[in-house]
Amino acid sequence: MDGTSDVGVDHATLLGAFAESALATAAEPLGASRARLMEAIGEAGMIDAAAVIAGFNGITRIADATGIPLEVPKAEQTAGLRADIGIDRFLEAKSW
Amino acid sequence: MTNVRSDMTQAQADAWRWIGHSGTWWTGAERIGIAAETRRAATCALCAARRTALSPAAVAGTHDTSSSLLPAAVEAVHRIRMDSGRLGIGWYEHLQAGGLSDAHYVELLSIVAIVVAVDTFRAASGLPMLSLPVPVAGEPSRRRPAGAKPGLAWMPTLAPEDRSPEDPDLYRDSPGPRERGGGNVHHALSLVPQSMIHWWDMFETMYLPAPAMRDFSREYRAISHAQIEFLAARVAAINQCVY
Repeated sequence: MDGTSDVGVDHATLLGAFAESALATAAEPLGASRARLMEAIGEAGMIDAAAVIAGFNGITRIADATGIPLEVPKAEQTAGLRADIGIDRFLEAKSW
Repeated sequence: MTNVRSDMTQAQADAWRWIGHSGTWWTGAERIGIAAETRRAATCALCAARRTALSPAAVAGTHDTSSSLLPAAVEAVHRIRMDSGRLGIGWYEHLQAGGLSDAHYVELLSIVAIVVAVDTFRAASGLPMLSLPVPVAGEPSRRRPAGAKPGLAWMPTLAPEDRSPEDPDLYRDSPGPRERGGGNVHHALSLVPQSMIHWWDMFETMYLPAPAMRDFSREYRAISHAQIEFLAARVAAINQCVY
């Protein structure tokens, strides 16, 4: 593994695995994904990755629990992308 | 020993300590109750059943709780903690009908978000969980910003241009130029300015302040802008966040 994924972000595979473990959506234990990431980018990098994961685990709740809409320019710029990857279907899952 | 940036350590400590103090609408003891309920939701049997159901509305029952919070507040904490990607305005209006005011809800949400963020950070970093702070006696200030208006979100929000001199500097207008307010999410907690300030003061040390987010001439963290945004997008997708 060279640590680079096809999205062009360094160590994306390791970062993604760390995020999934931290949010308990991966089979890999958190300690193992943390160790692999630290080996690749060091402790300071792991800490900053943990901070971003944790911060967004909070702010996604703020966004979804207030009904804040995407800004109009962003919505217009990403309309095709959102349709392609099916993200608009998340809205259909909103219930009560 | 794990070394954590001092600015983030301080910001998280401040946010954590603030949970124990009276807020704008809840007392310190009630705010600790909300924080404790946030942790309890992770092992709630009803939440687990709802999370795997096609529709959470299809699963009846009561939450595992030992708090004295209003049932609508318990429901709010548990759903926000465990199934935030499927919240809708009908659910929010149901909470209001159950006696949870819009401002109480916003302050509650800020506490849930802080507890989720701090607990997630410490677990991810391999650090022990923090004990909840001891409540500090005092009365909530109960001050609602006069300029808050409906329209953007489920609840009224206070836009930067509607802020009065009596309102705190929630968008960081001073010393200028304004550092917050460029995205709709900045407005989300603005009905309770102190809650908004406490969240964003902590969050910006974990992510990036807005000026740094847009400055690609240098890196501000031990990971790059691209790596930060990759992680943010991954978390948003996992949580099914539509923002």
